[in-house]
Amino acid sequence: MSPLYSLSGIRQRYAGRLALDLPSLSIEEGSIVGVAGPNGSGKSTLMRMLAFLEMPQEGQIRFDGTSVDASSGGSRAAMLRKHVTLLTQEPYLLRRTVAENVGYGLAVRGQRNSADAVRQALADVGLPAQEFMHRQWFELSGGEAQRVALAARIILRPKVLLMDEPTSSLDEESAERIRMASMRMRDAHGTTLVIVSHDREWLDSVTDTMVMLRNGHLAG
Amino acid sequence: MDFILEGIYKAFLLLLGGHEETWSAVYATVAVSSISICATVLLGAPLGFLLGYCSFPGRRAVRLVVDTLLSFPTVVIGLIVYGFISRSGPLGELGLLFTLQGIAVGQVMLGLPVVVAMVANAVENADERLEATLLTLGADSTQLLRATLWEVRYHLMLATVAAYGRIVSEVGISMMVGGNIKWHTRTITTAIALETGKGEFAMGVALGLVLLIIAFGVNISVSGLKRRVAK
Repeated sequence: MSPLYSLSGIRQRYAGRLALDLPSLSIEEGSIVGVAGPNGSGKSTLMRMLAFLEMPQEGQIRFDGTSVDASSGGSRAAMLRKHVTLLTQEPYLLRRTVAENVGYGLAVRGQRNSADAVRQALADVGLPAQEFMHRQWFELSGGEAQRVALAARIILRPKVLLMDEPTSSLDEESAERIRMASMRMRDAHGTTLVIVSHDREWLDSVTDTMVMLRNGHLAG
Repeated sequence: MDFILEGIYKAFLLLLGGHEETWSAVYATVAVSSISICATVLLGAPLGFLLGYCSFPGRRAVRLVVDTLLSFPTVVIGLIVYGFISRSGPLGELGLLFTLQGIAVGQVMLGLPVVVAMVANAVENADERLEATLLTLGADSTQLLRATLWEVRYHLMLATVAAYGRIVSEVGISMMVGGNIKWHTRTITTAIALETGKGEFAMGVALGLVLLIIAFGVNISVSGLKRRVAK
């Protein structure tokens, strides 16, 4: 069986500086991949490329049978983004209610955006729907906002959930909720998880594969 | 002083008594400015988004032109529109000269730079995480435009009221393109200019009061929206 992601000959530069140099990297479907490395090692660049927010300047990414490279048009990346979603360390919440934030992804996909699905997604991240659904974006703490952002991605049932330092700035309860919800996604729906985290204990306990980066290169 | 107080007293009588000529100018102003502001926002919001969001050669030059147009004198706009829609002009066959629609064309040119510049500025200064968030949730380019404009909606409303304030108070375009025709294209501002020139101070004051009320409403809206934007 071919891997879900195959990256080959990836080289990415910013202002002439080499940010990422990956001769080869594969990610199997349904696996949990941890990405670690010091600041500036290229972790976030890799995540943006896996999320198809950034196209490779050199090399190719093959995802589920579809290839993208520097010459690929925006429509192909947009099509692939329907299967992949990214949760960042400090996610942006739309200036809307919690329910509208959680349901936004379904709405833009033209899928039925039911209140039940929103309630379930909120329950998955440990937020009581009755209490949170109608809150405005500015009425949430940092941990609650992060959990709402995760709920907005869980509801999409993506093939791949990319998480870039999802728990680093959270209280322990919120961090644990995020960890549990992401693991449940993999177990229940076979979602592939790619996690960047400084929490090596968590990564070591859940990941099938670790990708170590240093100065934009694979370190082990 | 008596002359001014008498003018104000007579102005109230004209307004409260339903003086037809006065209310005709009020109606023409409200009608044409409503058409103008709707067209201005419909055109200006997407153009402002493109200017604030997209990178293209000559973008800085376009920004400079738009910013320069913010202070475009209304009589110059009136002159240009007059040239285009006069009988011998390239758009003369449309028959827009001395009509409210003709005034609206000029007023859209007046309001457009305000909306484009303010929306472009809001989009440029929007949170840098917004685009990635929308894309990773599956938005396509049209949905990205709509969601971004919704995110900066208070700025858009602020731009709308600022443009409306400019449109409703202009006199040069209405006078040159509309021709100040009684019962037809005479607006509040052109009527004030005419009536004051004729010595009919009361009607000028009456129309001035209506304009002040509109301006007051616009200012209240602007200050309320500024508070929302600052939130």
